[in-house]
Amino acid sequence: MTTPVADAIRHLDAAAPTDARAVSRRRRIAIGAMLVAIAVLVGVAGATTPSFLTFDNLLVVIRNASITGIVALGMSFVTISGNLFALSAEELAILAACVFAWLMHAGFGLAPSLGATLLMTAAGGAVQGAIIAVGADPIITTLAFGALFRGLASLVTGNQNIELGSRAAVWIGTGRPLGVPTQSWAFILLTLAAWFALDRTRFGRQVVLTGANRAAAAASGLRVGQAALVGVTLLGIGCGLVGISAASQFGLAAANLFGGLDIDVVAAILVGGIALAGGQGSPIQAALGATFIALMQNFMLLHDLSTGVRMVVVGCLVAAATCAFHVMQQRRA
Amino acid sequence: MSRRAALRDLGVRAAFMLAVYLAFAWRLPSYYSVNGIAALLDGAVLTGLVAAGIGATMLAGEFDLSVGSLAAVAGVIAIKLFGLGLVPAIVVATAASAAFGALQGLVIGVLGINSLVFTIGTLIGLRGVALIVAQQNTVTVPIDQLADTDAISLRLLGVFSPLSLILLAVLVLVGLFLGYTRWGREIYAIGGGRNEARAAGVPLLRPIVIAFTLSAGLAGLAGALLSMRSGSASPLGFDTVLLAAVTTCLIGGIALSGGRGNVLGIAVGLFTLRFFITGVASLGAPYWLQNLATGGLLILVIAVQLLPGLLRRAGTQPSAA
Amino acid sequence: MRGIAKHYGSVAALQGVDFTLARGEVMALLGENGAGKSTLVKILAGLERPDSGTIELGGHPVKLRSPGQSLQAGVAYVTQELSIVGALSVAENICLGGDSRAIWTAKRLADQVRPHLALVGLGEVDPAMPAGALSLAQQQLVEIARLLSRNARILILDEPTAALSDAEIEKVKAVVRRLAEEGRSVIYVTHRLGEVFEIADRVTIFRNGRSFPPVRVQDIDIDALIEHLLGRRLDQMFPARSGNRGEIVLSARDLIAPGLATPVSFDLRAGEMLGLAGQLGSGAAALVRAIAGVLPRERGTVLLRGRALRPDSLREAIAHGIAYCSDDRKRDGIFAVRRVVENLTAPSLSRITVGGLLSRQRERDIARRLASFFEIAAGRFASQAGKLSGGNQQKVALGKWLGTEPAVLLVEEPTRGVDVGARAEIYRHLRALADRGLAIVFASSDNQEVLGLADSVASFFRGRIVRIVPTEQLDEAALLRDVTHPAALGVGAEP
Repeated sequence: MTTPVADAIRHLDAAAPTDARAVSRRRRIAIGAMLVAIAVLVGVAGATTPSFLTFDNLLVVIRNASITGIVALGMSFVTISGNLFALSAEELAILAACVFAWLMHAGFGLAPSLGATLLMTAAGGAVQGAIIAVGADPIITTLAFGALFRGLASLVTGNQNIELGSRAAVWIGTGRPLGVPTQSWAFILLTLAAWFALDRTRFGRQVVLTGANRAAAAASGLRVGQAALVGVTLLGIGCGLVGISAASQFGLAAANLFGGLDIDVVAAILVGGIALAGGQGSPIQAALGATFIALMQNFMLLHDLSTGVRMVVVGCLVAAATCAFHVMQQRRA
Repeated sequence: MSRRAALRDLGVRAAFMLAVYLAFAWRLPSYYSVNGIAALLDGAVLTGLVAAGIGATMLAGEFDLSVGSLAAVAGVIAIKLFGLGLVPAIVVATAASAAFGALQGLVIGVLGINSLVFTIGTLIGLRGVALIVAQQNTVTVPIDQLADTDAISLRLLGVFSPLSLILLAVLVLVGLFLGYTRWGREIYAIGGGRNEARAAGVPLLRPIVIAFTLSAGLAGLAGALLSMRSGSASPLGFDTVLLAAVTTCLIGGIALSGGRGNVLGIAVGLFTLRFFITGVASLGAPYWLQNLATGGLLILVIAVQLLPGLLRRAGTQPSAA
Repeated sequence: MRGIAKHYGSVAALQGVDFTLARGEVMALLGENGAGKSTLVKILAGLERPDSGTIELGGHPVKLRSPGQSLQAGVAYVTQELSIVGALSVAENICLGGDSRAIWTAKRLADQVRPHLALVGLGEVDPAMPAGALSLAQQQLVEIARLLSRNARILILDEPTAALSDAEIEKVKAVVRRLAEEGRSVIYVTHRLGEVFEIADRVTIFRNGRSFPPVRVQDIDIDALIEHLLGRRLDQMFPARSGNRGEIVLSARDLIAPGLATPVSFDLRAGEMLGLAGQLGSGAAALVRAIAGVLPRERGTVLLRGRALRPDSLREAIAHGIAYCSDDRKRDGIFAVRRVVENLTAPSLSRITVGGLLSRQRERDIARRLASFFEIAAGRFASQAGKLSGGNQQKVALGKWLGTEPAVLLVEEPTRGVDVGARAEIYRHLRALADRGLAIVFASSDNQEVLGLADSVASFFRGRIVRIVPTEQLDEAALLRDVTHPAALGVGAEP
């Protein structure tokens, strides 16, 4: 290219913004900020709260972070694919716990119970994903299914506690291979798997592109429906794992087994910096967000902050994170 | 949708409502006894008030997920302020909710953020506020003053009570507002075509703030009224009202995308849902089954709305998808 | 308007333009894309601010810094993107944003808007009916009615008839005449020369950022108009054509689709570039979309390599070797928030997948190959596609299709929003692609582009094909005539 026009163009292009790392920048900032925040929180907590750095407490924190994290990983696929949130995660997890407990109680054995429960949660996710894939609003759909799952949980348990009565199951919930809780092993492995799936597999790339620009993805010949379907299904499996773990940990299941999971997961996604519009972000951000939220909850709990105060804090965090990232996005544009 | 098509649409929904009513009335004499009808009306108050409010936000193309928590906060505040008197306490609680709603609308409108996600945040936060104000407990009206709340449970004109009269009044007022005032039509405009409305010169802030004030205020009113009637308020209560209100709006023809639907439809949807739920309960289903039934009904409505689009695509129409 | 100048970067969109408009006059604005007429009109509408120059309305100098101020001054701008809310009634749409009274009853609004509706020829329309039920033309008229109700004295109509049927066009023309009789002034931006003669009093022609003094329509004829419109451009922008032709790759037989009024047939060989010349609403874009499967085919067949192509979806078309690039890359051409690499490999994921996993190596190879072919600097790979210049974005939008090794490339407006230098590059690349055996069909409203790049030209006007001929048989004047005011409409000999 030697014409004057071509040279002029080179100059024009040179003048155009060339941040070579632009895409990763937001992610790097988010991940970096998260790590710093976590470090600061741990530091502050360690300094101000005597009971924080005890072995038992750290165990609790790590377990909670893992539980929130496993669901947050699944949720990150939903968000990154452009489908915002699935508000039925907690209910599906509870249903999984109840179904698992019921199966175990009925004597079906560990492996079949595990398999059937996970299959059920995958199916639960898949049904929601299919409906969303053909155009239904994700929030409303998952809201409805949440009620369905909660009702089914009551149905399965007959509104009573079901005891597992299995020692093997108890190990799943409370075991600590090499000193690390089972849930945390699962969390770490799943984080790596999720990151790998999104970053290195064809399916992951489809999810990301669908979230980035659904019309362009369709125009490029990608199956845009698949992204929603598989995303919510993966979330379902994550919920299944968490439900099984909870049932095993407590040795029983009930329709009101735990609460606040939905809140913590949404907060984890937002605080982790995953863009609500979709098409950006990594499951690692969700994992770090979940860790931060779990630490924060623990910190507040140790300082005797009531449930109400803790909820207000998390709620403000969610609202503030939404505003902050939105404003940042606007400023960039 | 032309006028005639809109009327036809409403007619179909009303027919469905009637069908549900008859299906249960056939088995349940309570559906046509005076007491039974009064109970049906009263049972609709909570969902109806909240639906009218959340419907306004949906018409504007937004969404207010925090209505349940708002109702809980309002309920707790009202009970706590019972000393001021029955009516003043309700008024204060409602006003506080409305003020918060206006604030929400302001933030959402000025920043232009996703109302869905923002109200998830306020949903959580407000629940916490309810817990704090109630000090983690269910608050109750002192026993000796309980009689003062009886006014709320009066029976007027046979089937009505103050609550159901308020519901009807609210539905009429909101319907008139949305249908016949400039501000109400602006809400439809920004919901029916956000960019087009803005290009035509419609201010975005005002209709958004109005819509969220309505949804919060009505949710607060509902929470206060119902807490007064039962004489107690739990900070964790009203957690199923969001689902019921959304289902009501969707059955009634409010479009999620915004700009379509009206209060008449909400009323039809309201009673369709109530006939169904009350019927299911009266036939002996346990309490927790009601929420499941609502969820199932919502899924059905979603599926039915998707059907025309799916059939069209399955036909020989090529598309870019 | 005096001495109006406007620069975008180093590009002068307007250079010292003077423009006058008399009361009760219809002034037509003519000029090819980029000549400056849209810029001038946007300045008048308050959407852009001039770098220099003054504006006077009714003898008083005014500052039009925003659309609001422009409206206050009585200037109304009607664009292709209507601001009609379908869910609201016609009357409500007209009163939207303007009526300041609190209570809106259907009756009061209807009475209020009836005179305005009558003025635009919609007297028969029920003001209470939903605006969404009206046709596009009627909606356009409703928008005009709204602006009239706000006392617009100057109306700017930007290509108002582009998407309308013949009957609807008559309506619009009647409205324009009536408005002028009322004493209002109309600026009528169009590319259809026939309309200029039918309704305009005077015409101002734009070329390369400057305007000719306005001429009275009765003092000029078509040939003179065309002569004025032809501009001089850099000929070295276009690469030399080559004669390599392969076998017939794509055939259309009696194709009819929405936007095409008469059946279209043509054959396309490997290595050949077919340019579809035509303005907005001419059918050129419709033909491209019909072949791609984006628009439904009502009749006729398309054969790809001899076999009938019957895609029900874009996915199938792509699988068979069709590559389609729309005219709006922001909407569906690029993934703005993703990296260039990911953009380039989006349609060809199966080619970089090994056992379900993406091969970084293959991805890099393909991306590098595509990027080097399209001269996208490798340093850009990690940038967000949305941050690139318009030219580079278009290269990405086009280039990504190479990875699928298509047989046919269908493009709409290949260089829209691309600066002059990048255009030359894109033309060179497209020709190189053709030389490697790709068959290319591109629709363009830029006649220069079609004449410079294509081997054969099909000209379109209002949904009908005028002729298909080898490019040598056409000159600029003839093509301009074809797409703005053809003498006779019919299908010409195939190349």
